Amino acid sequence: MDFELDDEIVAFAREVEEFLDAHHDPDVFDVTRENMAQIVDTPARRAFLKKLAERGWLGMTWPREWGGQERPGVYEYVLNEALAHRGGPQTGKGVGIIGKTILAHGSERLKREFLPKILAAEIEFAVGYSEPEAGSDAASMRLRAVRDGDGWRLDGQKVWTTSAHFADWYWVGARTNPDSKHHGITLFLVPMDHPGITVKPIWTMGGAPMGAERTNEVYLDDVWVSDDYVVGEVDKGFQYISQALDLERFSMFTFGPIDERLETLVEHVRTATVDGVPVREDSGTRRRLARLVTEAEVARLLGLRVLDASMRSERDGGAPPTTEASEYKLYATQFSQRLADASMDLGGPGTQLRVGTGSAPMRGRAESTYRYTVIDTIGGGTSQVQRNIISRRRLGLPRSF
Amino acid sequence: METQLNADQVAVRDMVRRICADAAPLDRVRALEDDPVGYDPELRKALAEAGILGMAVPERFGGSALTWTEMAVVHAELGRALAPGPWFASSVLAARLLARTATTDVQRAWLPGIADGSRLVVPAWLEPGGSARATGIALRGEKVPGGYRLSGLKRHVPCASSADRLLVLFGTDAGTAIALVDPAGPGVDLEQAFSLASDTQYDVRLDDVHVADDDLVGRPGEGWSHWSATLGEALAPLAAYAVGGAERALELTVDYARTREQFGKPLGAFQALAHELADCATEVSGAELIAYRAADALDRGAPEAGRLAAMAKLYACETFRHVTRSGEQIFGGVGFTLEFDIQLYFRRAKQLELSWWSPPELEDRIADDLLTA
Ligand SMILES: Cc1cc2nc3c(=O)[nH]c(=O)nc-3n(C[C@H](O)[C@H](O)[C@H](O)COP(=O)(O)OP(=O)(O)OC[C@H]3O[C@@H](n4cnc5c(N)ncnc54)[C@H](O)[C@@H]3O)c2cc1C
Repeated sequence: MDFELDDEIVAFAREVEEFLDAHHDPDVFDVTRENMAQIVDTPARRAFLKKLAERGWLGMTWPREWGGQERPGVYEYVLNEALAHRGGPQTGKGVGIIGKTILAHGSERLKREFLPKILAAEIEFAVGYSEPEAGSDAASMRLRAVRDGDGWRLDGQKVWTTSAHFADWYWVGARTNPDSKHHGITLFLVPMDHPGITVKPIWTMGGAPMGAERTNEVYLDDVWVSDDYVVGEVDKGFQYISQALDLERFSMFTFGPIDERLETLVEHVRTATVDGVPVREDSGTRRRLARLVTEAEVARLLGLRVLDASMRSERDGGAPPTTEASEYKLYATQFSQRLADASMDLGGPGTQLRVGTGSAPMRGRAESTYRYTVIDTIGGGTSQVQRNIISRRRLGLPRSF
Repeated sequence: METQLNADQVAVRDMVRRICADAAPLDRVRALEDDPVGYDPELRKALAEAGILGMAVPERFGGSALTWTEMAVVHAELGRALAPGPWFASSVLAARLLARTATTDVQRAWLPGIADGSRLVVPAWLEPGGSARATGIALRGEKVPGGYRLSGLKRHVPCASSADRLLVLFGTDAGTAIALVDPAGPGVDLEQAFSLASDTQYDVRLDDVHVADDDLVGRPGEGWSHWSATLGEALAPLAAYAVGGAERALELTVDYARTREQFGKPLGAFQALAHELADCATEVSGAELIAYRAADALDRGAPEAGRLAAMAKLYACETFRHVTRSGEQIFGGVGFTLEFDIQLYFRRAKQLELSWWSPPELEDRIADDLLTA
C-alpha cells in the first residue's frame, strides 16, 4: 500500500501547475461552469488545447507509433485533474475515449485520419449513444443503419448529444441488426456538417445565466456513411461502448472540481463570521465539515484505485477496471451532491443568490454547484446503473432488473 | 502508488488469517463472550510466537516493530475474525505509550513481556460522567513524598483482571499524569461490566492506591499529550480492524442473499437489496483505502497523518456499523437470533464506533486540524 505519486510524477504535476499559472485566462478557465467546464466549445478553449498539444501533453499514454509517448496513465490523470480543478477544458473525450477506442479497434484508415488530428487538437467530437427510448438501457438504441452499397444509410433520432452544436465529428451508435440487442449495434463516425443532420438545442438547468449550458437533440435523415467510417467491426459497437463507458466514468467525472468546491467551502468556514462570531467555532459546522473532508478523501482514494488498476491492466494486459470505476463514479458523484447541499446549508440563506453575486457567500458558488451536480449522478450511467454493475460483477448477485 | 497489499503485506495477512482460523474460530469467539478473562491462551501464544504481540515494541526490547501498514494488516485480520483479547490495548496502545515516554527501566520491565506474551498492560482512561478528553479525567492523584495516592473510578478497562499492569491516567496539580498500577494490588477493586459487544471489561475502583514516582510514565502534566498522541496514531490500525469486520460481515450477507429464496428467487435478485449491498461494498472499498492511507502516512511521518487516522477511524467504523445494520435487515428474522453469526459483527460494530473516541470527538479533532492550520 502506497498512496503517493512517484517523484517524477510529482515533478510533472508541478510542471503542469506552472504551465497553467502562466496560461491563466478567464475565458478558458471558469470553475463556475462546474463539470461542463471540460468541453472544448469556444475558440479560446480550442486554442488552449492546441497549446497543450504543442507541449506534447496530448496522447501521453498512446503508442509511439501513433504519436504518443507510451507513458503510464497517471500522467493523463495528473493533467486532467489539474485542468478540472481550475475549470479548464479537458482531453478526456478525444484523447481518452474516442482515441483509445480507435487505437484498440479502428482500421488503419481511421487511425491515420483521426489520431493525428486528435493529438493536434484539431478536432472535436460529439458522442451519440442516448436516444429518447434508450437511456440507461443504451443497448436498446434504435437509430437505424441499413446497408446501402459500400456503406450504410442512417435514420433516426438521438438525444442528449452534448457538443453536437460545435463538434466536427459525430461518434454515433446505430442499430445494424434488429435481431440481437447486444450484438446488433455498430459505431460510426459521421461529419457533423452532413446536410442530413439537424441539431436542436435542449436548455439545461446549468449555466450562468441559468440555462446557458445546453445539450442537444440530433436528427439523422438519410445520412449515408461509407464502410470506411465504421469503427471496428459491424455489430460490435455495444462492446466498444461499454468499454468506453468504463473509461468515461473515471476520466469525465474527475475529482478536481469536487476538491475545488471543498476548498471553497473550507475557506468560507475559516474566514466567515455570523453576528460577529467566527463560523469556524460553530460545532455543528465543524462536525459536518469534518465528515465532508473525510468523504472527499474516500472519493479521491477510490479514484486512485481506478488509476492504479488501469495501469496494472495496461502493464499485465488484463481487463481494464470495471467495478472499481463504478464504485468511484457512484461514490464521488453522490458525494458531490452531499457537498453541494452542505455548502448551501453551511453558507446560510445567502447562498440562494445566483453564482457571481459579489455579496453572496462563496460568490454564489454553492447555488451553481447545487444545480449542476444533479447531472453527475445521471450522465455516464446513473447511480442505479452503477449499483447494478457492482452488485452483479463485484458481488456476484443475480440480475435484479 | 500501489492501492493493493504488496507481497510482504499479503504474507502477514495470510499468517494472521491462519492463526485466527486455528485459534479464534467463531465458536471460540462465542465461548469467550462475557468471559471474565476474555482471551484464549492458545491465541495469545500463537500471536506472540508470530511476533504479532510485539508489533509495536522496538526490536531492542524483543519486539518486531512492524510498520503501521503491517499493523493495519494485522488488525484487519483480527477484525475479520473478531478475535477476542486485549491485543490492541496492550500490544499497540500500551506498547506505544511506554516506548514513547517511559524510562528505560520501565521499558525494560514491561516491553519484552508484552512482546513475548507473558505480560499484559492495558490503559485505564475513561471515567463515568467524564468525556474522552483531558477534562474527562477526574481521578486525582494526591502528591505524597516519593509518589502519589490515587482515588477514583475508571471504566471500560479491557481485561483488567488478567492484566499485569494498568496505565492509569490521573490528574495532578501539574496536569494529567500516567502511572503503572498493579490491578491485584491493595486498594484496587475490580468489577466486571457487561457490554453490547460482550467483550471483557471492568470497572476499576482505586481507593488510596499508592504509586511510586518510579511507576510514572512520562512527566506529570505531559500525560494527556502523550496519551492523545498515542491513541491518535493507533486509530489507523483500529480503523483497519473495523474494515476487516465490515468486509467479513458483507461476505456473510452476500452469501446469504445469494442462497436464501423468497418469491421464487434469491434475495439478491431484488434490486432494493442488491443496491443496498452495492453501497455497502463501495463503502467497504473506501474504508479500506482510507485506513491504509492513514497507516501509510504514519509510516512516512507525513504531517497530515494524525488527521487521516481520525478520518479513517470515523469512516471505517461508520462503514462497519452500516454494513452490519444492513446485514441484520437482509438476514431477516434469523439475523436477530443468536445462532446466526451476523449478530456478533453487528454488536461489535456499534461498540467500536463509540470506543477509542466516538464520532463527535473524531470530528472535532479533524476540524481542529483543518481549521487551525
Ligand atoms: C446534460 C446531459 C448531457 C448528456 N450528454 C450525453 C452525451 O453527450 N451523449 C450521450 O449519449 N448521452 C448523454 N447524456 C445522456 C445520459 O447518459 C442519460 O441521461 C443517462 O444515461 C440516463 O438515461 P435517461 O436520461 O434516459 O434516464 P432513464 O434511463 O429513463 O432513467 C430514469 C431513472 O430510472 C432509473 N433506472 C433506469 N434503468 C434502471 C434499472 N435497470 N435499474 C434501476 N433503475 C433504473 C435511472 O437510474 C434513473 O433514476 C446526457 C444527459 C444529460 C442530461
